[in-house]
Amino acid sequence: MTEPLQATQHEHASIGTYVRVAVILCIVTALEFTVIYIRRLTPILLPLLLVLSAGKFALVVMFYMHLRYDAKPLTFFFVSALLLASGIALALMTLTGDFLVFKR
Amino acid sequence: MATHEAALRTHDAAHARAAEGSGVLAWLTTVDHKRIGILYGSTAFAFLLIGGLEALLIRTQLLRPHMGVVSAQTYNALFTMHGTTMIFLAVMPLNAAFFNYIVPLMIGARDVAFPRLNALSYWIFLAGALFLNASFLVGTPPDAGWFGYANLTTRPFSPGPNVDFWLLSLQVLGASSVIAAVNFIVTILNMRAPGMTLMRMPLFVWMTLVTQFLIVLAFPSVTVGLIFLMFDRFLGTHFYDVAAGGDLHLWQHLFWIFGHPEVYILILPAFGIVSEVLPTFSRKPLFGAPVVIYSGVLIGFFGFGVWSHHMFAVGMGPVADAAFSIATMLIAVPTGVKIFNWLATMWGGRIRPTVAFHYAAGLVALFTIGGLSGVMHASPPVDLQQHDSYFVVAHMHYVLIGGSLIGIFAGLYYWWPKMTGRMLDERLGRLQFWLVVLGFNVAFFPQHFLGALGMPRRIYTYGVGSGWELWNLVSSLGAYVLGIGVLLFVLIAARSLRSGPRAPADPWDARTLEWRTSSPPPVHDFDAIPPVYGRDSFWREKYGDARGRKPAPRPETPDPHGIHLPSPSFWPVVIALGIGTAAVGALLHTALVVIGAGITVVGAFAFALQHHRDPAHVVQIGNLGVDHRKLAMWVFLGSECFFFGTLIATYIAYKGRSVVGPLPHEILNIPLTTLSTFDLLMSSLLMVLALAAVQRDDRAQSRLWLAGTALFGLIFLGFQAYEFTHFVHEGLTLQSNLFGSTFFVLTGFHGGHVTLGVLWLLALLVLDLRGRLAVSDSIKVEVAALYWHFVDIVWIVIFTLVYLLP
Repeated sequence: MTEPLQATQHEHASIGTYVRVAVILCIVTALEFTVIYIRRLTPILLPLLLVLSAGKFALVVMFYMHLRYDAKPLTFFFVSALLLASGIALALMTLTGDFLVFKR
Repeated sequence: MATHEAALRTHDAAHARAAEGSGVLAWLTTVDHKRIGILYGSTAFAFLLIGGLEALLIRTQLLRPHMGVVSAQTYNALFTMHGTTMIFLAVMPLNAAFFNYIVPLMIGARDVAFPRLNALSYWIFLAGALFLNASFLVGTPPDAGWFGYANLTTRPFSPGPNVDFWLLSLQVLGASSVIAAVNFIVTILNMRAPGMTLMRMPLFVWMTLVTQFLIVLAFPSVTVGLIFLMFDRFLGTHFYDVAAGGDLHLWQHLFWIFGHPEVYILILPAFGIVSEVLPTFSRKPLFGAPVVIYSGVLIGFFGFGVWSHHMFAVGMGPVADAAFSIATMLIAVPTGVKIFNWLATMWGGRIRPTVAFHYAAGLVALFTIGGLSGVMHASPPVDLQQHDSYFVVAHMHYVLIGGSLIGIFAGLYYWWPKMTGRMLDERLGRLQFWLVVLGFNVAFFPQHFLGALGMPRRIYTYGVGSGWELWNLVSSLGAYVLGIGVLLFVLIAARSLRSGPRAPADPWDARTLEWRTSSPPPVHDFDAIPPVYGRDSFWREKYGDARGRKPAPRPETPDPHGIHLPSPSFWPVVIALGIGTAAVGALLHTALVVIGAGITVVGAFAFALQHHRDPAHVVQIGNLGVDHRKLAMWVFLGSECFFFGTLIATYIAYKGRSVVGPLPHEILNIPLTTLSTFDLLMSSLLMVLALAAVQRDDRAQSRLWLAGTALFGLIFLGFQAYEFTHFVHEGLTLQSNLFGSTFFVLTGFHGGHVTLGVLWLLALLVLDLRGRLAVSDSIKVEVAALYWHFVDIVWIVIFTLVYLLP
């Protein structure tokens, strides 16, 4: 038995938008691959890669996972969990092993 | 309300679930939240008695100096099993019994969002609990403490299967808890009766909601810690191997990132119970209810920022000590707010001193003692004096017995009539209350003195002249009285079930919706979803607001689709059996692991297909305007953020600590991985195209894109298989060094997720090819797509942090 049609779908992006996002994701990935071989970028490589990665992450979440179009509580749940997990991961790295920045 | 009850008694028999009966099979296959609640409650109470027996053996051993009741080895096993049993097999599932039975009734729902998943949670819990206790039968109970500190738990220091029982069962129990938590979050957020806004929810429902979020977000870190331990013990990795560069503090952090929120997982439900019992028997609304709600939420939030106060003694340095000390002191503020609100609720009330009220008021007093000694531990210099002493034992028992268990007894006396349809004996109940409270205080208050006198925890005996003799004697005698008190409850409960007076629907003249239906409630809870007039809706319905103005009665609107309840299922039992078999196999033979995994996979597919054919609810769009399944997936993905966050953090923390090669820069193939990254990113494009095609009922396109996504997933796995094989040929294995251990576990778990995603997509493709994936089923594709995209974004992070960063 299949379920009756339910009004679950919020307005999602168009196929054109999905393709454009895919093109951007490919370009950014190519950029990530390229910048690690450019010596002059070495001093800013870490923040640069993190920004590029965060951009790709956000694009997938917003457009492919539809958070941009979906109910706001979903964004709240996911972003809250992501921030909390990131904070705890950062603390874990800080308090453990070679990532230690606090003098014991 | 009499007419309402009468209506319930004459409800149409056709409403009852198919095959709802009273035989063993009916209980094995039940998906009724009330029966599952009873299963949780009775199982957990049995384990409470077992854990209590272990405690009494401990106290008998410590009754006098040089007692020889048990050996040192047995003593280690007793305190390990006592702690593990009481936390995971008694208090947590006793709380789960109330979540299951009461929460759907309180919010005016017919069941939980995922009734079969609810049954699965219980049966997995039972499998984990039996597996843990089976260790006694083979003579190798866990013996490294409930906290399982590495490296006491690693193979060189615990060569037997004792710790294996512990770590495997905790993973099974954790899975049960997370599944249940996702279910209750969706139930509470999405299945409230019309008019029940979040701020109108009863306090017990609120505290349940906060608790479920804590479970979902806190369990992944200990799961990762246990996975590392399992790999160290079974496969020879080096996560907790100091000689290979490992850091033992890693375990302590992973454990306490879970362990401190776990304290609130244990106590917040009790706070919720008290917040229901005190207003009912004070005949006043809860004083400052919104503030009590915000306090509960704040406690949950702060609970994630205080874990290292358990680790002041390891020497984290002044900055970390100060940060965690301040956070710990801060958390006392919302906790204190609750205490004052409960006192203000009782103040000026027309108090009816029932046994439930006695217990609720008892919690306010006893938990405050535990809370105050907790604030003392927030100060690192003070904590260093008390660390690992009996002062800490006293503190934790004032929190977990004075708080959690006393709260659970309040809930038992309060909701027993609703759950069984019988009243408990109030006279004997008062005797039971005083035995428990006096026994508890005599047992545990002297332990403050023992700690101050320098008695360490976890010693199995002590000498004459240590100065600890008197208080140990007093403490043990108190423990026996406490034990008699708990046993007396069994007698009272049995008498009530056999010959207790019949309970009316609303024996306490209470305030919330569960008292609006009969005792016990019918199988479908309510004939019609009850109207909600505000906070304490049932009270307003009976007596009006503070000025006595009653709301205009609203008709109970019948469910437009009729009353639909899911049919029973035996697949949850099958899946739990598979998981249990795999756990046993981990200790006996790999073939059993394969058989167990096979049973689990087959059971899971059958479980999913049953949902596809016979969904739990006709309408799955809830209060948030989101489908239950989609909401559940997003909540689960929040949990997954913690899981992968912990794996990635460990990889980075251990990066550069390998004492032998190969090292990352010598072996990682970035061009190849860039190609596999392109592949995975493009699979996400195909996935959204597949979803769009299903939504517009384009069968040809949906099949093409679903197959394409699965194919791209398989190609990614092919890249990973090639990479792993290449690394092994280059000399990098799980056992080579810390890099190998962290790299293979991180990327391997990601690959495992991709594999699961491919299987899911293939199942959807088969349904589509058989013409059983209609437009109305697009939500199922959307949920699968969310999982697939999440796997994709995790890889985006791994690609940058593991492969690209120097």
